[in-house]
Amino acid sequence: MTTQQNSKVIAGLKYSLLMIVLLFLASIIGYLFRMIGFPETNIVIVYLLAVLLTASKTKGYIYGVLASVIATFAFNYFFTEPYYTFAVYDPSYIVTFIIMTITALITSTLTSHVKKSAVEAKEKESETKALYMLSNHLTDAAEIHDIAGIAVSIISSVMNCKGACLCFDENGMPEKTFVQQVSPDKQIRRNVANTEDIKHQTEGLRTGYSIGTEFYDWLIYGRDNILGIIRIPTDRAALMTEAQTRLLRAMIESIALAMDRFRSAEQRIKYREETVQERYRGNLLRAISHDLRTPLSGIMGTSEMLMDMSKQNDPRYKLAEEIHNDANWLHSLVENILSLTRLQEGRLTLNKQSEAVEEIVGGAVHHIVQRSPDHEIIINIPDELLLVPMDAKLIEQVLINLLDNAIRHTSPKNEISVTVVKDEEHNCAVFTVADTGEGIAQTDLPNIFQMFYTSRAKHADAQHGIGLGLAICDAIVKAHGGNIEAHNRPDGQGAEFIFTLPMEVTEIE
Amino acid sequence: MSNLGEKILVVEDDTQIRNFICYSLHSEGYQYLTANTGQGAMNSLVSEQIDLMLLDLGLPDFDGIEVIKKVREWSEMPIIIVSARDQDKEKAAALDLGADDYLTKPFSATELLARIRVSLRHLYKQGGNKQQTCVQIGNLKIEHDKHLVFLNDTELHMTPMEYTLLTLLFKNAGKVLTTSYIIKEIWGVGYGNDTQALRALMAGLRRKIETNPAKPRYIMTEIGVGYRLVND
Repeated sequence: MTTQQNSKVIAGLKYSLLMIVLLFLASIIGYLFRMIGFPETNIVIVYLLAVLLTASKTKGYIYGVLASVIATFAFNYFFTEPYYTFAVYDPSYIVTFIIMTITALITSTLTSHVKKSAVEAKEKESETKALYMLSNHLTDAAEIHDIAGIAVSIISSVMNCKGACLCFDENGMPEKTFVQQVSPDKQIRRNVANTEDIKHQTEGLRTGYSIGTEFYDWLIYGRDNILGIIRIPTDRAALMTEAQTRLLRAMIESIALAMDRFRSAEQRIKYREETVQERYRGNLLRAISHDLRTPLSGIMGTSEMLMDMSKQNDPRYKLAEEIHNDANWLHSLVENILSLTRLQEGRLTLNKQSEAVEEIVGGAVHHIVQRSPDHEIIINIPDELLLVPMDAKLIEQVLINLLDNAIRHTSPKNEISVTVVKDEEHNCAVFTVADTGEGIAQTDLPNIFQMFYTSRAKHADAQHGIGLGLAICDAIVKAHGGNIEAHNRPDGQGAEFIFTLPMEVTEIE
Repeated sequence: MSNLGEKILVVEDDTQIRNFICYSLHSEGYQYLTANTGQGAMNSLVSEQIDLMLLDLGLPDFDGIEVIKKVREWSEMPIIIVSARDQDKEKAAALDLGADDYLTKPFSATELLARIRVSLRHLYKQGGNKQQTCVQIGNLKIEHDKHLVFLNDTELHMTPMEYTLLTLLFKNAGKVLTTSYIIKEIWGVGYGNDTQALRALMAGLRRKIETNPAKPRYIMTEIGVGYRLVND
């Protein structure tokens, strides 16, 4: 603070001295003119010249105004009769004094004004230059920290300080280190004392800056979140003029733009990579599944042939049967993986048509009964025809999976039921598959529709379930705009899976 | 059931499945020829007298559907398609192009032989006797000359549409009929592909002949393809 005041005082002294010297010179020249015998008007002109020079060489209006007043009095004192007094004999000199003062004032203000405009223009130019330099360099940045580095070096050179920049990560959290310019061509990385503190500090600040012990922190706002902080050392920041603050803000704006652009490009690349990866994964899974499917059909057929060739009491019949069952299980697993990859890729276009619920339920039950003839499945459907828009194959798959699940958890003498009702209020069809098995463990309930989730409540059963069936149901029902949930039956033993399919009001008369 | 040693062409590129099919055919006393490409199939078809063809839709050289198209240019022989589970569209297309039936992998020998029997029976019916006046499947009986339908010897009242649908199914008993084929037969060509009308008609028919429409005894739904009237 004191240095600033000192420099002001020194500048004031310098300008005052300059003014005095110029006026003194003008007086001497005036003296010479009088000795030579030039008219007094020339002396007035010389004084005006001195005022003009003063105004142009000093800063602000004050010296020019002061010089014009002093010049008038000096002229009065030295060059009008009676000499060396402020009195005048000839009243016409009064007019001379007034005009001279006015002329001197106008000249000095005009000069000062021109000077001020020149200074402003120069400031503007350097601002533009700095901004241009900044955005020019920022386009070369290949990484978010490059942007920070460039920003720091340009801001530091413009502001003539040791500026710094702290980047925030994608989640809007401050990074652990920040970059600081320590000399014109050297940058260092410093650790952040407490990222939480900084995060806390930035919250609730929409404009302006926060003042810390070492730095003033200016926030870099992106489109969605805070991208970083520009830090200006406290001593320099306190001295910043209006113009410099404005420049800094403009620079921060272009840094924010560059960072934003970079972030969104990064995001795009990430998404693209993810989709490519996802596609590779899907392709691989599908290729494997496809290649497994055909030989599995062969194994199933051949083992069936072996069963036909041997008698039921032959131990070889049992062996062949087991081969058949295992192959069958593997086959359904492969089919499930295929369905799921197709569903997940979102490439599955629903082939929605109005389907009769009875046909779909009937088809699914028929399929299940063929595989597990011991189970009795009770079907309750509305008497009137219920047409629901759906992809028949997929909803059949949902029902098959749910029934399959029910059968695995229910002993043959217990009852399994499929119920469909129309929910007029929500305009949807409600499908319920209920069993009378052991029910679902509480720990499993929240995760039951997750992929590859298998019950942890029971001992691991290699033969049964790898946790895809219900995940597929979930995906299919959701794709139809419906909802699926599982819970234990309130009225007693067993579990209940309920899913809904919207009916989509089509009011065609 | 005895058979006449019909010659069956097995077009399948997977050795194991081919062997399994051939074994099943052999054990039932059918003669068989094999081909593992579409081209091979065409060669056998022109040089041999074939009674029925089992055709895999996923052949290495060309689409099974092309084979069907070519065969249908000169022959009405029964064609049974063998397809993977995710080939529903191709399956329906093949059936519309004139294939008689389909099997989805993996299938059992029993299924295979049953389908072959049905298809061969249709072949003989076509070639020989005229439409029978009275047909019975299970407890369901149609008297064509009187336009009457009986279930457990009780007469059922049918609308003309339902009657047409039922006779169409009876004529093709055991065979799968695609929805588009049925629509074309009942409503005519210009009707488009309004499955909703067919579903409603079918629901009405089922409520008359089935005790539980969701557990049909007679008319089975082949989801995504069409309907099949059980054979016996």
